[in-house]
Amino acid sequence: MGLFNYNIEKYSPKQLVIIPLVILAISLVLIALNMVATGMPVTPGIDFSGGTAVTVITTDTREQITSYFAGYPLTEVSDMNNGKFLKFGLMDDAKYKSLTSLINQKYPDSRIDQIGETFGKALQSQAALALVFSFIGMSIVIFLSFRTFVPAGAVVLSAFADMVMTAATMNIIGIPLSLGTLAALLMLIGYSVDSDILLTNRVLKRQGKLNEKLAGAFHTGIIMTSTTLAAATAMFLVSWFGAVQIIYEISAVLLIGLLFDVINTWLTNVGILKWYVQKGGGK
Amino acid sequence: MNSKELKTLVTDWRVATLLILLVLSVIAIYPHIDQGGALASNLQYGLDLQQGSWIQLEFRAEVVGFTTDQPVQAFVSNLSKKLDTEVVVVESTNPNHLEIRKYYSQAELEPVFTSEKGTLTSYQQGVTKSTADTVKRVLENKINTLGTKDAKVNTLTGLNNVARFIRVELAGVDMNQAQEIVGKQGKFEIRIQTTGNQTEHVLSGDAITSVQVPTQEPAGSDNWGVGFTLSESGAEAFRAAAIKYGATADPAKHNLIMLLDNETVYSAPLSNDLAGKIQNENIRQLFASTGSGKYGTQQATNLEIHLRAGALPVDVNIAGSGGVSAPLGEHYKVMAILAGIFALITVGCVIFYRYREPSIVLPMVLINASEVIILLGFISLIRFQMDLPTIAGLIAVLGTGIDQLVIITDEILHEGKVPSPNLYLKRLARALSIIVIAAATVVIAMAPLALMDLSTLKGFALITILGVLVGVIVTRPAYGRIIMQILSK
Repeated sequence: MGLFNYNIEKYSPKQLVIIPLVILAISLVLIALNMVATGMPVTPGIDFSGGTAVTVITTDTREQITSYFAGYPLTEVSDMNNGKFLKFGLMDDAKYKSLTSLINQKYPDSRIDQIGETFGKALQSQAALALVFSFIGMSIVIFLSFRTFVPAGAVVLSAFADMVMTAATMNIIGIPLSLGTLAALLMLIGYSVDSDILLTNRVLKRQGKLNEKLAGAFHTGIIMTSTTLAAATAMFLVSWFGAVQIIYEISAVLLIGLLFDVINTWLTNVGILKWYVQKGGGK
Repeated sequence: MNSKELKTLVTDWRVATLLILLVLSVIAIYPHIDQGGALASNLQYGLDLQQGSWIQLEFRAEVVGFTTDQPVQAFVSNLSKKLDTEVVVVESTNPNHLEIRKYYSQAELEPVFTSEKGTLTSYQQGVTKSTADTVKRVLENKINTLGTKDAKVNTLTGLNNVARFIRVELAGVDMNQAQEIVGKQGKFEIRIQTTGNQTEHVLSGDAITSVQVPTQEPAGSDNWGVGFTLSESGAEAFRAAAIKYGATADPAKHNLIMLLDNETVYSAPLSNDLAGKIQNENIRQLFASTGSGKYGTQQATNLEIHLRAGALPVDVNIAGSGGVSAPLGEHYKVMAILAGIFALITVGCVIFYRYREPSIVLPMVLINASEVIILLGFISLIRFQMDLPTIAGLIAVLGTGIDQLVIITDEILHEGKVPSPNLYLKRLARALSIIVIAAATVVIAMAPLALMDLSTLKGFALITILGVLVGVIVTRPAYGRIIMQILSK
């Protein structure tokens, strides 16, 4: 691999962790702001807030679509390639029935998803619990595996930073929290620790010079992340091309998360580990 | 590799397990050309990959905890009158709970409980699992009679056994149709046998004001049946018909027949006791007995559903619904396959760029692909319906599965030298220990999702967990064995 060199020796642990810590702080502030505005750390999509989402494959313009559905609470029209995504606010059953007939008549080849407010709310609390439990479960596994506080804490902190930075980025670029993106976030909890575990294992359990072990771990770790990135990119491109919104969102979240994972593994986690080993731990 | 080496490799238990599972998976998937000449398989698709609709209903009822110093029976019947609905004591584990089959908020219920000298201790919207199961049966029944080919009804039960939502999935049906099917009630009718096979109309379903759950009459007799109540005018019509056609005088010759959508669902004569009573007055409270034992219970359960004529024991709201058209489902399917293949190729390219050695890259990619095939085989076997999130999960398994093969390869190739068998095993063990920890975190991270009733994501989480397990238990050890053979040359 000669794309870029990972010259870890040059930097002190402090220098390594400073950039990710700043990003983490900014992300936390962004998430807090979002909490105040919407009550959720990530802006909830229709799955959680209720409403109606419609996917149509059409060449009609936004203006045409807006005029068709003038009598309904159409809140957003977005497009991806030749797919158009319509979002409607909450409406009563009768209105919804007339909307579905209208859609069937105008766009027979469509996809409709309507989520009631109460169901969305019920999902919301389950989703929050799933995230919390998932994160706690992952932390327990990590602590049980390494049994030393600093290295295990570094892995958990990196995973936490991945989640927070990804969530903040979702808010900035406008990817809502849906069932699909929730799944992607949970996947990130599980998968982002892969390279951290490899790193910690190599540094603590192998013989040799620290810098060599770090470079070796990077050599393997970056390929691991690249393969997952490659799979996610493939999904991202195909789903963009085919206007498959749910896969588009899942793969986008995975991509963002994996990029932050590179930063958090090779700066945050390495920084803390380096400090720990230089201080005399892990011997 | 000569044939002897190949033989030792194939007979290694790790490699053999992988190969056997692969064969079994292909059999389970059963790819074949169907009569129409199209490629078909045993894979089941969820609603977003084929035409279909789903409707999610919310129960307008609640399960509440209570305490009272009054006799429970009296307390419940008073509540039932005040609230103008059925109030059922929840059986089994928590006898201090009631199911109220009409929607009231907690604030509305509290004063009612207080006035009946009781206290409301907990409140949860929904119904008990057993009521939810009745609703499920009613809906399934209704759907079956309409001949819809592929339908699923799932109750979403929370951790405390209270179900708040129920989800109906109908393949091959569009949204408007689906709404009609779920909303439609059957035509119920009671007829009386006049002479021979002749029958006359007595009353129709709207005369039945309430239907009870199956009970034993008298209690504890193992004589099962379903009680139901007629309206005043219904009881009047019932009595008039019974007298007119002579059922009160000679019950045995004049069966009462219940029909749902013109099909007989129950037929029995008046009991002598009832025949005598009806001669004198209108009887509103009737009991249709169905026999004893398991058969009697089963018949009673069915009769309850028929008496309700497709009406649910509790009111429901539509809490969500959706549908995908046939062409769009087909489009998604093509895109999903495309994404899978494209992902496999890109991952392969990244690996090739790294190792530049076909004898390493090829086994990696093949192992990776075999993992997906085994998963698909399992999906076919359990008839799991694949949907878009599941496919995304499968593709992610592709990406992360190969990660772990990279860990194994790099651990073994450490310092660029091919190790001696002894050292090799040590390194493989170390690589596997990293992999096991990584796998454990994924399983734990997905577990809450697999256990919770978010319904649409449950399958996705299960498949991801399964993918990780297949990897750790089957494909990684086999890869370790194969790569040793290749490297030792």
